[in-house]
Amino acid sequence: MPQDRDLIEQIVKRYDGDTGMLIPMMQDLQSECGYLPAEHLRYLSGRLKVPMSRLYAVATFYSSFHLAPKGAHEVTLCMGTVCFLKGAASISETICREFHVEPGGTTRDRLFTLQAVNCVGACAVAPVMLVDGKYYESVTPTSALEILYDLATDKATAEKGG
Amino acid sequence: MTRLGNTQLSSFADLEHIREELLSRRAPSTKSVHVCTGPGCAAKGSPKLYELFCAAVKQAGADVEVQAKAVGCHGLCECGPIVLVQPGDFFYQRVEEPDVAEIFRETVLGGRVVERLLYENPATGEKADTVDKIPFYKAQKRIALAYNGLIDPTKITDYIAEGGYSALSKVISSMTPEEVISEVEVAGLRGRGGGGFPTARKWRSCREAEGFPKYVICNGDEGDPGAFMDRAIMEGNPHSVIEGMLIGAYAIGSEQGYIYVRNEYPLSVERLKEAIEQAKELGLLGENILGNSFSFDIRINRGGGAFVCGESTALMASLEGRPGEPRAKYVHTVESGFRGKPTNLNNVETWANIPQIINRGGGWFASIGTEKSKGTKVFSLVGNVVNTGLVEIPMGITLRRIIDEIGGGIRDGKRFKAVQTGGPSGGCIPTEHLDARVDFDELTKLGSMMGSGGMIVMDEDTCMVKVAKYFTDFLQKESCGKCTPCREGLSQMLYILDRITDAEGQVGDIERLEELAELLEGTALCALGKTAANPIISTIRYFRDEFDAHILDRRCPAKECRGLFRYEIDEEACKACGICLKNCPADAITGEKKVPYVINQEKCTLCGTCWEKCPFTAVLKV
Amino acid sequence: MLGKMSLHRSVKGIRKGKPVPTVTIDGRKVRVKKDATVLDAAKKAGIWIPTLCFHPAVSCDASCRLCMVELDRGDWRQLITACNYPVRRDIVIYVSSKGARQARRGVMELLLARAPESQELKVLAERMGVKETRYPNVTESQRNCILCGLCVRICEEIIGQAAIGFAGRGADRTVAVPFRQPSDDCIGCGVCAAVCPVGTIKVRVHQDQQEVEISPFKSRAKLLVCRQCGAPIVSMQVSERVLEQLEMTNCEEFRERVHLCPKCRKPRTAARLEATKIYKKE
Repeated sequence: MPQDRDLIEQIVKRYDGDTGMLIPMMQDLQSECGYLPAEHLRYLSGRLKVPMSRLYAVATFYSSFHLAPKGAHEVTLCMGTVCFLKGAASISETICREFHVEPGGTTRDRLFTLQAVNCVGACAVAPVMLVDGKYYESVTPTSALEILYDLATDKATAEKGG
Repeated sequence: MTRLGNTQLSSFADLEHIREELLSRRAPSTKSVHVCTGPGCAAKGSPKLYELFCAAVKQAGADVEVQAKAVGCHGLCECGPIVLVQPGDFFYQRVEEPDVAEIFRETVLGGRVVERLLYENPATGEKADTVDKIPFYKAQKRIALAYNGLIDPTKITDYIAEGGYSALSKVISSMTPEEVISEVEVAGLRGRGGGGFPTARKWRSCREAEGFPKYVICNGDEGDPGAFMDRAIMEGNPHSVIEGMLIGAYAIGSEQGYIYVRNEYPLSVERLKEAIEQAKELGLLGENILGNSFSFDIRINRGGGAFVCGESTALMASLEGRPGEPRAKYVHTVESGFRGKPTNLNNVETWANIPQIINRGGGWFASIGTEKSKGTKVFSLVGNVVNTGLVEIPMGITLRRIIDEIGGGIRDGKRFKAVQTGGPSGGCIPTEHLDARVDFDELTKLGSMMGSGGMIVMDEDTCMVKVAKYFTDFLQKESCGKCTPCREGLSQMLYILDRITDAEGQVGDIERLEELAELLEGTALCALGKTAANPIISTIRYFRDEFDAHILDRRCPAKECRGLFRYEIDEEACKACGICLKNCPADAITGEKKVPYVINQEKCTLCGTCWEKCPFTAVLKV
Repeated sequence: MLGKMSLHRSVKGIRKGKPVPTVTIDGRKVRVKKDATVLDAAKKAGIWIPTLCFHPAVSCDASCRLCMVELDRGDWRQLITACNYPVRRDIVIYVSSKGARQARRGVMELLLARAPESQELKVLAERMGVKETRYPNVTESQRNCILCGLCVRICEEIIGQAAIGFAGRGADRTVAVPFRQPSDDCIGCGVCAAVCPVGTIKVRVHQDQQEVEISPFKSRAKLLVCRQCGAPIVSMQVSERVLEQLEMTNCEEFRERVHLCPKCRKPRTAARLEATKIYKKE
């Protein structure tokens, strides 16, 4: 698709075609598309003359890259030591059970993508959960579910109205 | 932003002139309110408070000399959001939106204290009206965090007004590269990222290495869970890092630097980018800095989400656009590092210490700390202590002082059990070693390490076996997977720990863990693998009885591991409300009005729902 | 004459000031060029050190950790990998010491646990004196792959195609084709299968489709088949590559012969030789 090619060309130009900046390039691509579409990566590979196997290795090595479309919302659970000691594991279990999703994955209805990260540096208010960058402090399994159910209702309302 | 007339500073005199101008613009009567927007306070909504204060300042009118600043992490995150008011050194804690108007009217404009927002010592009930009366801050000595809370990190003018970039000026105008290295050598600075390698020695090796160009890197991939010291520095005072790198580059002979920031810190990336832009505008970065032939530029790279990229060779691989896999270090990175060229990599906190070492002298720095560990260290004190947050203390202070005096002791009246230091490469220190002095070498002797500064305090309700499993699980997920011992060894150790916490431990499991630990230490390719078993080994060393209880008695003394303890209803506390019965997914509870309820142990699945839901805390873990 | 040459060489070395370090390995002394590896020294001394991920044709990243030996550091001994430790001064190495053997045994046991069905691995283990492993199989391994990376490196560095690479991280690390779909970059040369030390990668010939498949990647390439008998010869892309690189004066004849399998080629070659009257049939 022509506009996709333009996007890649733009990104490559931004970094002067420096293959060392492959990761920032892929980050920019993911910012634009929400994930890393296979066709875009293939084009990038040809453009930079870097083998596709290397791009694939990079895309699958780093946790922040997704090769499949993400959910409408990004839910991040901090699994740092302090959050963990305060029960983050059971929050994670509860969410996974209720919404049939694994950490790193997306709910089937694409409502949200669940990410587990190691420490967001807000240990004083553990356990911490972020929804689209917004911090929720001292979360419990019950309150976490409530927050996520609210997301679902928002979506339903939006779909009804839209 | 204060306009400086778009001047590019073309000499040291220019910089001095600017500083004088900035200081003169500051009327002594200017009142200022500083709102902490560090990670802990920001999570509690402090940016909104800042907005409100800004609005109040605007409303006050042009004739009132007052300003509002958003400042970096001040340290006492537990009591956030924190608001400081000058003049008067006022320190307010747990400030909420409705408090803004009162603070502005009473304290900022009127100089009067708002009693209820003052810090209150939980043990004595005493209120502290100024910062230095708060025990948390009294024992601290702030070098790297010196300007957090004082300057606005988004304004280079604030940094310059406080003396920023004067060290750079001194270095370029009056010191040779070798003299700079000697000064750092006298200071005795050792790497603050965990390795503790003598900084001057690293710089000198890089300087003497053959090859061009040479690179200078700042490791901002702070990955230890529970640690956010580097984040506070990058977001609270980014210029200290930039100035440090400039000085290091000058000493080593490098013209290109990189700051590698972990992906989970987008605000740090933003602050650093802004700071670099402003420094460039003033000619403090780029070609011919301050009129000298020295040129240096910095580029920021974000990580992709991999803990292992905190390892220097993995970081460099990532900078080269490859997966972050470490490589052998038989040939050091100062000889052949990034792109095969001589590269000097240092941690954020290490760089942040450099400007003050140059300005106040290596001898001053060396007068603080212990014989082999000079200066101060920033720690993130978190977990079950009363005062959680960031502290900067001279090396050599004891763990007991940190936890009791600064931390305020264990919260909720519980007993101390252990403190985990050094993150996943470290170990836990129990009560009997609380008088150990914290520095690079002492904690290592006890089976842990100081590491990057994470200090996680655990109370009596913590299961140490679970802690060991947590760190092993973390490392297994973060291992790059390149070398056999780390990849396979961690899986094997996790498998054993899973069995132990699932009531399937076997006699000989501890010996198996010890064998694997020894194997990893000797054969793993990088430091992540080599130290991966530390959390397990140190918990076995000090809490062997807990492991034995899990394995031999199928019992978890701390009552955390599901299946290794039971739930029972306290007859006296039970009010027969029926909530537990209603919520039990296994129909294991029986009872009726006015009679204590009972849990049928055969049916109970140990899910813990009754324990969570009982409003009378009548469900006990046994 | 040999004696004279070696004297000349070492005199030359001293004159140029190039150090020629000595490695004392299990008591035997050998001299090696600066930056040669401990493995080079061991080979010269005739001492066997087991390796898996090492291959002289490709770069060395010491990932398998099998070739552990001990380096004498005075008051302690450091475990190092022989394949990539550069010799820069006189050093003392122990291959048969308890510490070194224990380390190698530990690594091999982990590998045996990971790849329980590989016969080649068992043979190597036997040679090392490791008869079994005390560890259970806990990681899912793609058919006994030990992640040595030889296939990846040879495809990238020697063949230049980089059709396969690593994917994932940690215990989930695998050797894979991008997007787990058969790769267009694969030319079906089968060198990855040739170099795989544990027999995981296999070349499968699909006669009916005239294709060669590299398993487990499912990549396929068209096969060149014999014009005369139809037997598979080699991947077409490999053949084309070779032809591209050769300048032959007798192009026509060569190209004809390329399309014949070795069996069918023989009578043709014989006929040609007859025709040139080099060999006369009696």
